[in-house]
Amino acid sequence: MSGGPSSGAVSRRAILAGGGALAAGAVTGVAAARILPANMVPLVGPGYRPTDKDEVGIWQLMERVEEEVAGSNLLIKDEGLNAYLRELIGKVGGPATRDMRIYLARIPEFNAVMFPTGFSVVFSGLLLRMRNEAQLAGVIAHESAHFLRKHQIRQWRDTRTKSDLLAIGSMVAGVAGGAAGVATGDLARLAQLGAILSVLRYNRTLEAEADAMGVRLLAEAGYAPTAMSQTWQQLIGEMDASAAYRRKRRDRNYSLFSTHPAPESRMADLRISAAEVTVPGRSYPDYRARYLEAIGSIRSMLVDDQVKLNDPGASQYIVETLAQDGWNGLLRFAEAEVWRLRNRAGDDARAALGYAAAVRYPDAPPDAWRWHGIMLQKAGARAEARAAYQRYLTIAPNAPDAPFIRQQLQFL
Amino acid sequence: MRQLLLLASVASAGLALSGCVQTKQYADVAFAPPQGDYKLLVMRPDVTVGSVTTGGIVEPRADWTEAARGNLITALKAQQASRGGNVFVLEKRDGLAARGVDADTVAELERLHYAVGSSIALHRYSGANLPTKRGKGLDWTLGEDAVALGRKTGFDYALFLHAEDSFASTGRVALQVLGIAGCAVGFCAPNIGGGGQFAYASLVDLRTGEVVWFNVLQTGTQIAGINMGDIRKPEGAAQMVERLLNRMKPGRDVRRALKAQGQ
Amino acid sequence: MKKIVIAAALAVSLPGCSGIGGEGFGYGGYSLVRAERARAVGDGSMIVTPPREWNRSSPLWQIDDIRAVEDWTLNGPYLDSMSFVTGLRGGRYIIRQNKRDAQQVPKFRSDMTAPEIAAMLESFYRVKAGAIDFKTTGLAPRQFMGYPGFQFDFDHLDSDEVWRRGRAAGAVIGGRLYLILLDGARSHYFGAAVGDFEAVANSARFRG
Repeated sequence: MSGGPSSGAVSRRAILAGGGALAAGAVTGVAAARILPANMVPLVGPGYRPTDKDEVGIWQLMERVEEEVAGSNLLIKDEGLNAYLRELIGKVGGPATRDMRIYLARIPEFNAVMFPTGFSVVFSGLLLRMRNEAQLAGVIAHESAHFLRKHQIRQWRDTRTKSDLLAIGSMVAGVAGGAAGVATGDLARLAQLGAILSVLRYNRTLEAEADAMGVRLLAEAGYAPTAMSQTWQQLIGEMDASAAYRRKRRDRNYSLFSTHPAPESRMADLRISAAEVTVPGRSYPDYRARYLEAIGSIRSMLVDDQVKLNDPGASQYIVETLAQDGWNGLLRFAEAEVWRLRNRAGDDARAALGYAAAVRYPDAPPDAWRWHGIMLQKAGARAEARAAYQRYLTIAPNAPDAPFIRQQLQFL
Repeated sequence: MRQLLLLASVASAGLALSGCVQTKQYADVAFAPPQGDYKLLVMRPDVTVGSVTTGGIVEPRADWTEAARGNLITALKAQQASRGGNVFVLEKRDGLAARGVDADTVAELERLHYAVGSSIALHRYSGANLPTKRGKGLDWTLGEDAVALGRKTGFDYALFLHAEDSFASTGRVALQVLGIAGCAVGFCAPNIGGGGQFAYASLVDLRTGEVVWFNVLQTGTQIAGINMGDIRKPEGAAQMVERLLNRMKPGRDVRRALKAQGQ
Repeated sequence: MKKIVIAAALAVSLPGCSGIGGEGFGYGGYSLVRAERARAVGDGSMIVTPPREWNRSSPLWQIDDIRAVEDWTLNGPYLDSMSFVTGLRGGRYIIRQNKRDAQQVPKFRSDMTAPEIAAMLESFYRVKAGAIDFKTTGLAPRQFMGYPGFQFDFDHLDSDEVWRRGRAAGAVIGGRLYLILLDGARSHYFGAAVGDFEAVANSARFRG
């Protein structure tokens, strides 16, 4: 259950942990031998329908879940972007790709979830973090593999067996706990969210299968199979940066790496598998330009959603990761915003410099001019502040705060 | 502003049920149970039946859930027909499209009702009483949106219904002998522990938008294997509907008026 | 402001069924705010006169920096709430939070301008209240408690998928933050309470 006032974000993560651990049924043990991509045959063909009683029950529940998801207020309805995502799943979705649906939810977290019936929810926070189309395709391929290998139902059966054992030793807690504080509104109303939870948490073997099969799907579609390990690497780096800023250890409960293959061994396996499926002499473009074009209409919103969470360690890591492909006005502005909200000693001066740097780029968002003006005004640079405000009002005459800025102009 | 954040901390409260059946209803002071030729809209009933495995996970059972949903709807129609009402059960959000109400409008109303229902539950059932509502029976509304829905569709009332029920599997029975059981029941929390029934119903007057009547039903047993009214069976579903809806009492002012008339 | 958690609400304590641990979580009750009587709010430095009866939620934590905040409601916090921030000092927060949480509401600083205070409130909604979408719909000058201040209007979509609307009126006076904020479901509840908010905000003054 939700553990108190500050549990919002954490329980969000716990709930929709796409590849998380078994909350209570975490198993320890030695890592199994690497699963070979070549052995990963799909267990689901086109038009698959379940016949076993338990699976039929889960499917029925999931149809209800999908109805909720499809009608959710949290979906980003941008038609072009949704078409783009459908096209991607079409490329890396394997044989059952026609049966898969993909929904884009506005939740600023690094996550994607595949449901047992073949529909997937991609979080907007994932799109923010991907540097190119190959990386995104890698995550989608990984999620598709969960469906193609029937992981949900296999995990479900596994969980049942395990939790039966577990209950003997302790009070049952946490297995199906925490349907509270979900970031998916209506989903919270599903009395059986606990069941969903246990279904969506994969154990190490299944995670390794999804990695191996995902790499294969990725390469077959013509993407660099190394994109996937690059993505996981970014996720680990971000979590470490976030934890380091707050002076604590990495959140052990976060989705991808809690108990399963230690991140390091998982990475090693991924790299070997990627080499295995790479065709020598073939070129694998990352399609960065195409990706940026696809998310262009929402990119500044994605940045904004992340920065305003005031998680400076993570935000700064994300900004710097994206900036490896080149700095621009949006990223410089985001960096300044991180400093301003972070608010440590000297951060106001840092932010002021950051806004000044951001407005030198032609693609600086209008807000950069406003904040640049505010910082100049605070520093007593009246003429410059006035110029920045005027520039802001020229670019965004109908901004919601225009009346306030006009009043400030009178004081300068 | 900040008080909501605390609600989250109350959430972890588990609920241990002793063998009991409980309902508690609240009504608007001016509420008279619908009679005669009225039109009732039942919003997508939310029904789930599963079996509790030993580990406390509720395993959804499609066949049970289907049976229970069908039985509840049948029982509901029969129960309402006995009062003279015409019932329309909305199965999907887009079920009113022909009457000019799209799926989004239905969804918005469901969401608002969820917030209102939560508030009723919290401030009427959980002891967080609001002094301004003392002695006012049920004093919440869905506002203009509900009135607009009524105007467009011609319905007089809307009923929101949620039911869940789970049955202990044999493994759990064995565990309970050892005295290990935890149980949490809630709107959205999965049923952990022994089998139990939990349901609520809420009636909205679409002419005013007011929530005029609200009832919660809880049956539970810590002795696994004893079920109070199995909603997988028609008689059990009828029992739940009867418990939940049949004993609809008029509100205070109406009761007083009836008393004054010597009825 | 909401992490909707009905499990809590419905851990119904009915007589006959054994009760639950819903009480004793430090979650207090509500007391009556009388209509048309001036009363001190928060740390006592602000006097307001509500046009009708409200419910005041009991202080949750007696922590000095949060004593400056008080919350009222008409129909329950999922539906509407009016909050008062009275004389919050620089370096303090509008909410008590764990210093190790990854996501944090920024601290208030004495030299903050209206856009910075608006951004601080926005972070509060995003970080603490699970707001998924937050739209600023207005930021304009407004006199508050006789000082030049601001009015901040916004809409937010929360994790229970309900759209809510908020309006804050406030000012930084002598380096301290004074603010009144109304928040309510956009459907019906905000509109039903906004008249009260205006009356209360316009009645706000310093304690003699």
